[in-house]
Amino acid sequence: MSALRNMEARFDQACGLLFGELLPGEALTLDFAGESSEFMRFNEGKVRQIGHMDRATVQIKYFRDGRTLSSAFETTGDEDQDAEFAAAALSRARREAPLLPVDPYQTLPACSDTSREVFQGRLPEADRIPDEILGPGEAIAKAGADFVGLHAQGLVCRGAASSAGARHWFATETFASDHSTYLPNGKAVKSGYAGREWDAREYTRRLATTISRLEALARPEKVIPPGKYRVYIAPDALNEVVPFFSWNGLGERGLREGESSWIALRDGRKSLSPRFRLDQDFGLGLEPRFNDLGEVAPRLLPLIEAGRLANTLVSARSAKKYGLASNAAPAGEEVRSPSIGAGDLDEDKALELVGTGLYLSNLHYLNWSDNDSGRITGMTRFACFWVEDGRIVSPIKDMRFDESIYHLFGDKLAGLTRQRTLVPETSTYGHRALGGALLPGILVEDFAFTL
Amino acid sequence: MSSDLKRLLESALPPDAEWASLRRVRTEGRGYQAKDGQFEEAFDYVDEGYMVEVLHEGQFGYAALASAEPAALKAAAEKALRLARAAAPRTIHPFGLEVRPATVARYDTPRKLRAAFGADLLSRQAIQLTKAMQISGKIVQAAAGIDARDIEMELVSTSGASLEQHLHILGYEVQAIARDGAVTQRRSANGPRGRNNQGGWEFLDIAGGEAEARRIAEQALELLSAPECPSMTADLVLAPDQMMLQIHESVGHPLELDRILGDERNFAGSTFVKLEDIGTLQYGSELMNITFDPTLPTEAASYGADDIGNPARKEFLVKNGLLVRALGSLESQRRSDKPGVANQRAQDWFRAPIDRMANLNLEPGKDRFEDIIASIERGVFMEANRSWSIDDYRNKFQFGCEYARLIEDGKLAGTVRNPNYRGVSSRFWRSLFKVGDASSFGIFGTPNCGKGEPNQVITTGHASPVCAFRDVEIFGGEA
Repeated sequence: MSALRNMEARFDQACGLLFGELLPGEALTLDFAGESSEFMRFNEGKVRQIGHMDRATVQIKYFRDGRTLSSAFETTGDEDQDAEFAAAALSRARREAPLLPVDPYQTLPACSDTSREVFQGRLPEADRIPDEILGPGEAIAKAGADFVGLHAQGLVCRGAASSAGARHWFATETFASDHSTYLPNGKAVKSGYAGREWDAREYTRRLATTISRLEALARPEKVIPPGKYRVYIAPDALNEVVPFFSWNGLGERGLREGESSWIALRDGRKSLSPRFRLDQDFGLGLEPRFNDLGEVAPRLLPLIEAGRLANTLVSARSAKKYGLASNAAPAGEEVRSPSIGAGDLDEDKALELVGTGLYLSNLHYLNWSDNDSGRITGMTRFACFWVEDGRIVSPIKDMRFDESIYHLFGDKLAGLTRQRTLVPETSTYGHRALGGALLPGILVEDFAFTL
Repeated sequence: MSSDLKRLLESALPPDAEWASLRRVRTEGRGYQAKDGQFEEAFDYVDEGYMVEVLHEGQFGYAALASAEPAALKAAAEKALRLARAAAPRTIHPFGLEVRPATVARYDTPRKLRAAFGADLLSRQAIQLTKAMQISGKIVQAAAGIDARDIEMELVSTSGASLEQHLHILGYEVQAIARDGAVTQRRSANGPRGRNNQGGWEFLDIAGGEAEARRIAEQALELLSAPECPSMTADLVLAPDQMMLQIHESVGHPLELDRILGDERNFAGSTFVKLEDIGTLQYGSELMNITFDPTLPTEAASYGADDIGNPARKEFLVKNGLLVRALGSLESQRRSDKPGVANQRAQDWFRAPIDRMANLNLEPGKDRFEDIIASIERGVFMEANRSWSIDDYRNKFQFGCEYARLIEDGKLAGTVRNPNYRGVSSRFWRSLFKVGDASSFGIFGTPNCGKGEPNQVITTGHASPVCAFRDVEIFGGEA
């Protein structure tokens, strides 16, 4: 049985058993996350670790008599064993739920939508991964640089179903080769190649582009004193800021409970640039629209329009708690498939637009530094340059910034590029992630560096 | 149990495998959360799976699966071998069995109260904690959570390793958010997810929890009207619940040997520490003594051996300020020819072990807390982490705390809000001028240290007394 059929069979079996055994008065949602992946980690252009992982987790949410309990278990692909695990989870839920207090904001499953999307890919044979990835990578060593990163590939699946009749299945075969090319001076270019259809020639072409970018990094490093600079933030760098729309972000619960750093925007005490627009846009086609309860989000949800809050992310729980309409946000109310609106600047003229200042290709380790004022601190990383008169002069010594979102996307936002880049999500915590973001580059005045 | 695992390994073994191991991990967890006097969420999970690892011509290959069916394990072992065979000509280092010791060991978390508390008691306790924090209409969130994890880990190998470990970890969270107009302040029990310990149910303070929760809410309210932390260069005193983060980010990660060897450069980052610094670099002042200690019983990342079977031992990493040893597993030690520790750890059955922190502690000094404060003319005493960021070479950091008090003329003075500080790691540690004695020693831990490709989160423990640092750049929030 193929990995794809095997995963869908596990999902179908879990649904069949768990919904089939429900008693009157019980309700259930089922959330499925599965993958069959190969990973090759490499350093110095050589294999550090290589392996395969097969994992599929079922999480159920059980509802009875106003009580709610979530329970999760792993599936094995063995029908008898998985039936035992599913039955054990339901048994635990029936035993534990009566001991719990009533959940005042319990939201019983109500949606009955169904969907099925399957995207088959063309990936390198598993046994060929070392040669396929590191063979072309030898060109990097010949250029005097060092090749380090991770190649991940395989099947990723998500499923959701409910006792109300919702049933959704999403499966995709993808690869993500995520790597850095380091010069002996410690400067590096971050690059990657991700998709469904592996093309060895395209991969080799991208490596050649990476090599061509090394020349500027080989120049002597410039130390920039703390201060305020005009900067161009490239899409990959902007992607590091994207999680801040979710973490202490635009979720209704966080705004109500004081966790959000966007409260001033909500209250109207602050606004962003009229040029700034943020949407949740499933038209990007990178991840499913259904959430863990089987609810389907609108294809497009404007979040910030013309610099003002247009919508917040509202989960079913928040909808009940605050008397609002749900927009099928997941329980954590994070933004999925974020898209920042395009501007009118030309990406090819980014250096000219900076004039004298900084070109930032990547940022690193960002965190809120002051919630009330929306300040974020973080570091520059990889290929970041000092620019004079529209030309790259030298790479910079990494700098710490501390800047407010209300400046970054507000009064200091000088413009956004017309071109936008689709930046895929490549994280692999627990499971290989789906999704990504559609982002322009942005030009910012007086961006504050502190250390 | 390990006899079953041995049989499974023998039946799965490809005929031409040079060596193989089988690691089983089973985690049973559950948790209860309440908010604003009402029940919020209950969850449980059973996560069980296997990793088979094989060695072929110096290259390890692995395959992870949830099934214990012999046919599935056999197929997994063959897959691991095929991958190892494909990678062997391009291996970064030809490893041998010296990095997979044939350790026979057993470890159980010491516990006083072994019998688990029920869902009814734990959910009620979480609710009570939140009610204790509802002391004002300005408290816009009062949240509490209690979680428990029972972890069974077994490892067997064809060379004779037989390891069995049972870990019991309790996590506890209490948080109040207060808001008054444009000012919002958060106060919690030792910072976000800072309170994780190994042990039994004795760690859950049923009787004293509500008083602590009320104090947390009172301090959140106090912060609303407190002035901003002033911007100044002054002496900084850190409580153990912030030292946890300071040690983790500016000592632990920089000393990971796989970072020094470059493995992490594409993701978590590199380090300013070089191989030649081990044994020569004066990392901090002479008061700085950092130990790797997976043997401290109540600390979150204690164990008998790491996930490849290297027996756990306490080791000094920094002694009297001098860097003497890095956080390197047997594999990294082999690659670097440098001394290391037993720290090759994996998040779970589905991830391969890599160099990690476990318990990383600052050993107590001689000064009482009162004497440390009395020795400072002008400074700030900060508690509980709120914000953390550091560069990919682990140099330039900026950390924020929840709660702080000014120190004026040797005495604790008024409370200030939004306290932050920034610095450069080794320069900062060289400014360490006071280390508290055992009376201020606090043991904390976090379950979410991220690192590795593919990504892994893991539990680490950090213990420290109160410490004082000279001439640090301190600042507050934006007015």
